[in-house]
Amino acid sequence: MDIFVTGGTGFLGKHVVAKLLADGHTVRCLVRPTSEVEALRSTVSEEQRPRLHFVPGQLQKLTPDLLAGCDAVCHIAAAMKGATAALFVDNVIGVRKLLKVTAEAGTKRVVLISSLAVYDTSGLKNNDVLDETCPLEPQPQLRDPYTYSKLAGEQVAWEAYRAGQCPLVVIRPGVIYGPGRDPLSSRVGLNFGKLLIKMGGSQRLPYVRVEACAAGIALAVTTPGIEGQAFNLLDGELVRARTFLRYYRRGHRGLWVIPVPGWAIGPLAKFNVWYSKRSHGQIPPVLTPYKCNAMWKPLQYSVEKAKSVLGWVPQPNTLDGVQGL
Amino acid sequence: MSSEKLRVALIGCGQIADAHLGEIRKLAHAEPVAVCDRERDLAVQAAARFEVPQIFDDVEQMLATARPDVVHITTPPHTHKALAIAALRGGAHVYVEKPFTVDVAEADEVIAVAESAGRLACVGHDQLFDPCWVECRQLFEKGNLGDIVHVDSVQGYDLTGIFGRLVSSDPEHWVRRLPGGVFQNTISHALYKITEFLPDTRPHIQALWFPTPDSGGLKSELRVMLRGEQVTASLISSFAARPVQRLARIYGTKDTVEVDLEARLVRKYYKLSAPGPFAKIEGPYRQSKEAKRNFWKAVRKFWKSDLQYFAGMNGLFDRFYRAILTGGPPPITHGEIRRVTDIMDRIFATCQQQELEFARSNS
Repeated sequence: MDIFVTGGTGFLGKHVVAKLLADGHTVRCLVRPTSEVEALRSTVSEEQRPRLHFVPGQLQKLTPDLLAGCDAVCHIAAAMKGATAALFVDNVIGVRKLLKVTAEAGTKRVVLISSLAVYDTSGLKNNDVLDETCPLEPQPQLRDPYTYSKLAGEQVAWEAYRAGQCPLVVIRPGVIYGPGRDPLSSRVGLNFGKLLIKMGGSQRLPYVRVEACAAGIALAVTTPGIEGQAFNLLDGELVRARTFLRYYRRGHRGLWVIPVPGWAIGPLAKFNVWYSKRSHGQIPPVLTPYKCNAMWKPLQYSVEKAKSVLGWVPQPNTLDGVQGL
Repeated sequence: MSSEKLRVALIGCGQIADAHLGEIRKLAHAEPVAVCDRERDLAVQAAARFEVPQIFDDVEQMLATARPDVVHITTPPHTHKALAIAALRGGAHVYVEKPFTVDVAEADEVIAVAESAGRLACVGHDQLFDPCWVECRQLFEKGNLGDIVHVDSVQGYDLTGIFGRLVSSDPEHWVRRLPGGVFQNTISHALYKITEFLPDTRPHIQALWFPTPDSGGLKSELRVMLRGEQVTASLISSFAARPVQRLARIYGTKDTVEVDLEARLVRKYYKLSAPGPFAKIEGPYRQSKEAKRNFWKAVRKFWKSDLQYFAGMNGLFDRFYRAILTGGPPPITHGEIRRVTDIMDRIFATCQQQELEFARSNS
């Protein structure tokens, strides 16, 4: 297959490109002037290089001729940081522009990399199972800017799918970790340099190893007849936050940890909201009960759908997966 | 003053729009009623987060439907003139983010339309209403500084930030197509702090701009000297200097103060009276006492929720809206808007001239 990839030089993208090339496909990577093209090229073997092509350009200025003849588009590029408006430019307007072009080019498969964060967890009780049947977040503007933008981007794609303009498959990975990325994430707590405010501890971390995630995405590109479906990608056995942190502090770097027990998260969030209102926004409502509920509620996660429909094999265990990082 | 709230609409839902909508919502005599962006997704997110009832992607439709009293324009500078004129002709007063327009000819057009329509135009020179700048102005008005001799104004910028990276990596970025390049989008803040104390319409200007080895050809450093009848000034805009600063030092015939917008404090300079080497002890001692005073002042302000990041913007909105409601004097006159725009034009023209001469002498 001839596959057009956005975000191919990024942390996840590099692994997806490597997997697609290893599976014998041809890959066209959309690269911006700032993309680290050589870093990607150097990871590709001599045999694979003729099947890797770089397409200079930007998502906002994409034209259908750049997609001519390609069998599938894999949209990995996403902004992770910045103000909501800036994130929307990349993660929502970017998706809208891409889907317009894929519709014009007649692309037969569009795989959108979304996020596990798009689910509405407010209806789930502690230790309930989160899977693909859970509804999407109904009030995304109350979540963090990244989640809001990813959810809005996904909704744009579903609208196009329902309108018959996009043969869509959605991948919702958890927190992606692997070589070159610090596995400590906000699912464990709030990290300020050497200080970590540990939030709860009993919650399982919805992590996914990058190579396994890339393999799942490659399957979503090539598996026939799965249009209109979404798949969660996570490790097989997820580690609890407190176990992960114990391992992390031993093997990685020293951290000063301020623990916030699970029962205290709600009151702390309520205080943040109250103080933010009282002080007219002198300190913003970074923690709200709504955000905390979505981020640190202890849940179980299922990847049975990806395993059964895609034939995906996850990383068996997060604790093994983070060893050596 | 009427108890009715001004109906405020905003065009351009980028990053700075968040600050505008947040501050408008804090004011008792105004309410945001509509947001508009040609990218509807941007208008939708702004409306959702700031509870704005009406969303538009067409300006004319927004003006006709929402009928705002005031329109805030937070789009890129090259769009300001057309949008401001449309809003003024639609019957609204306009608040335009800095820089007011791309050049003084455009500023004249907007001001002419505003005056013929009997409406006010305001520009986002918000740091003039920051509490520490207000404190500095009060010192001057009380006569504590004497006559102003010179102003140093420093404006830093971080090109490694999200917006900075976009600008530096994209030669086609709209900021780079402005006559003054990136400086056109950044130096207003440094310049209007100078013009507050430099009343001349056409001061003598010397200026140069240049890239640094790390800026990838982007002209990232600007140095300007201004000379008026009574006052001189220097403006430094640096993308390389760290930490990123927003500083002004005002030299008076009686006293000198430094206004640090980042730390939000006014530092005073003391005339030392101790003899010989004891003055070297007196200096740090007096500075430490002042630092202690400033520290506790900041703590008190924090306690009273008085360390709002956009306090200057809030103060300017408040004064602008009051001027609209009461018919009182505007916080920034049309004449001042024109003068600052004209000086910016002349700074960039001088830089271009200097660049040509430099190239000629090198060839």
